[in-house]
This record gives sequence, structure tokens and C-alpha cells, in this order.
Amino acid sequence: MAWERRGGNLYYYQSERVDGRVRKKYVGTGEIAELVAHADETIRRTRAERRERVRAELEEARGLASAADELNEAAEILVRAEMVAAGYHRHKGEWRRRRDD
Amino acid sequence: MIELTDGARERVRELRALSKKVEGGDKGARTELRRALRESAPDVVARCSDVAKTYRGMLAEKMATGDPLFKEATVERAERMALELAGEHPTPLEVLLSERVASLWMLVELQEALMAAYYNKGGGTRVSVVLQMARLQESAHRRYLAAIKTLAQVQKLQGPSRVQVNIGGNQVNVSR
Repeated sequence: MAWERRGGNLYYYQSERVDGRVRKKYVGTGEIAELVAHADETIRRTRAERRERVRAELEEARGLASAADELNEAAEILVRAEMVAAGYHRHKGEWRRRRDD
Repeated sequence: MIELTDGARERVRELRALSKKVEGGDKGARTELRRALRESAPDVVARCSDVAKTYRGMLAEKMATGDPLFKEATVERAERMALELAGEHPTPLEVLLSERVASLWMLVELQEALMAAYYNKGGGTRVSVVLQMARLQESAHRRYLAAIKTLAQVQKLQGPSRVQVNIGGNQVNVSR
């Protein structure tokens, strides 16, 4: 969306995508053009705010999911240490007792 | 991000290194690993349990969206779940693993609630956003199931051969 000045007058244009290409569409001048421009700006701002809100929500969800990664890793290490110390070893994802223990 | 203390982190590193040595065939390292576990595991488990509780508090806060009663009820439900999963006379490791399962259960619940909210928003939500949320949900669910499996394995391997003794008022679980 843009205003263009020609010969001392302001003309308002909208951009639209047709078959993958951006095309400039003349809207008008004067009060009608100002109203359309205001509406366009409101829509653009609302979309940007919504995108930002969704981005922040996703970021928070990711943060919550990974916040306890260190705890999970430590628990796995403790399990492994306990099992290895007790004479077990991992075989195809299962813990098995060593024959010589 | 909630983290372990530097000391706990260092002890976890030591346990990992010793486990690798034992798995690599170093028989002498097993005695050292057992000693390290005896000395450091209680501290590490205690610290991890604190972290798990803090984490559950964070998740409950998000789930409750400002309702303190809902928050407390969710935390309490997870605590009870952890206790039930640990069973009677659990080892410290079983306590830790049960707490982890309860925490991941809360994470799965939260992700499902968030996902449902996105679906309820209707056509306005972009497909890419829904896909990202779905991936997070799947990942949480996978980790939850893996944590249950680990707990079950540990309980199965420790359970039948475990003997409980009381020494000087302290309960001790001994693996045979």
C-alpha cells in the first residue's frame, strides 16, 4: 500500500499478488482514499500483532518443553550409572545382566 | 531454563564418565562408579527432585492461566501421581524417575491444551504454526512414554531382587 504524489496531488495504491507477481492497483484520492488507507493500515497492524503473539506463544511453548532438558539428561545418566554399577549392560535398547557378574 | 547447580552438574559428569569406562570394559572403574554413586547420587537425586518440582510449578502456572486453585490442584495431582508411580519403599532413583514421569505428564497435558486452543481458533491459524505445535506435542508425548519405559525397566530390574532393611531408623534398599 502506498501513497504517490503526482503534480501536487496524492494518489493511493494497493498492492496485490496475481499469479505470483505483485501488481499495483489504483484506489483513489481524497477522503475515500484516506479511509481505505486507514483500513489497510489497521488490517496490516492487526496481522502483525497476531503474528507476533503467535510467535511469542510458540517460543514460550518451546521454552517450557526444553526447560527441563538438563533434568531429563541427568536422570538418564543416573539410571545408566546405577544399572552399569549393578552389572547390567544395554543390548538392543534393553538392559541385560552380564554373565560374568 | 531451570538448571542443576554446578556441583550437581559436575557429579553427573563424573558418573557419566565412569559409566562409560565400565561399559568400555574397565573393570576397576565399576568399584569407583559404585563409590561415586554412594557418595554423590543422593545429592544429585535431591537436586534433580527440586528441579522437577520447580518445573512442575512452571507448567502448572501456564496451565492455570491465573487461577491459583487450578494451579495448586494440578501440582498436587502430579505429586500424587509421582508418589503412586514410585510405589512402596522406592529407591531414590525410582523417586526421581517417577517425578520425571509426572513432570512430563504435565507437559503433555499442557501441549494438548495449547493444541486444542489453536484448533478452536478456527481458520485463522496458519498451517505452519499448527504443524510446529503438533511437533512439540509429539516430542513431549515421545519423551513421556520413554520416561515411563525407563521407570518400568528400573522397577522391573530392581524390584524382585530388592531387599529392604532398616538400619538405625534409616530405610535402606539393597539390590542383590
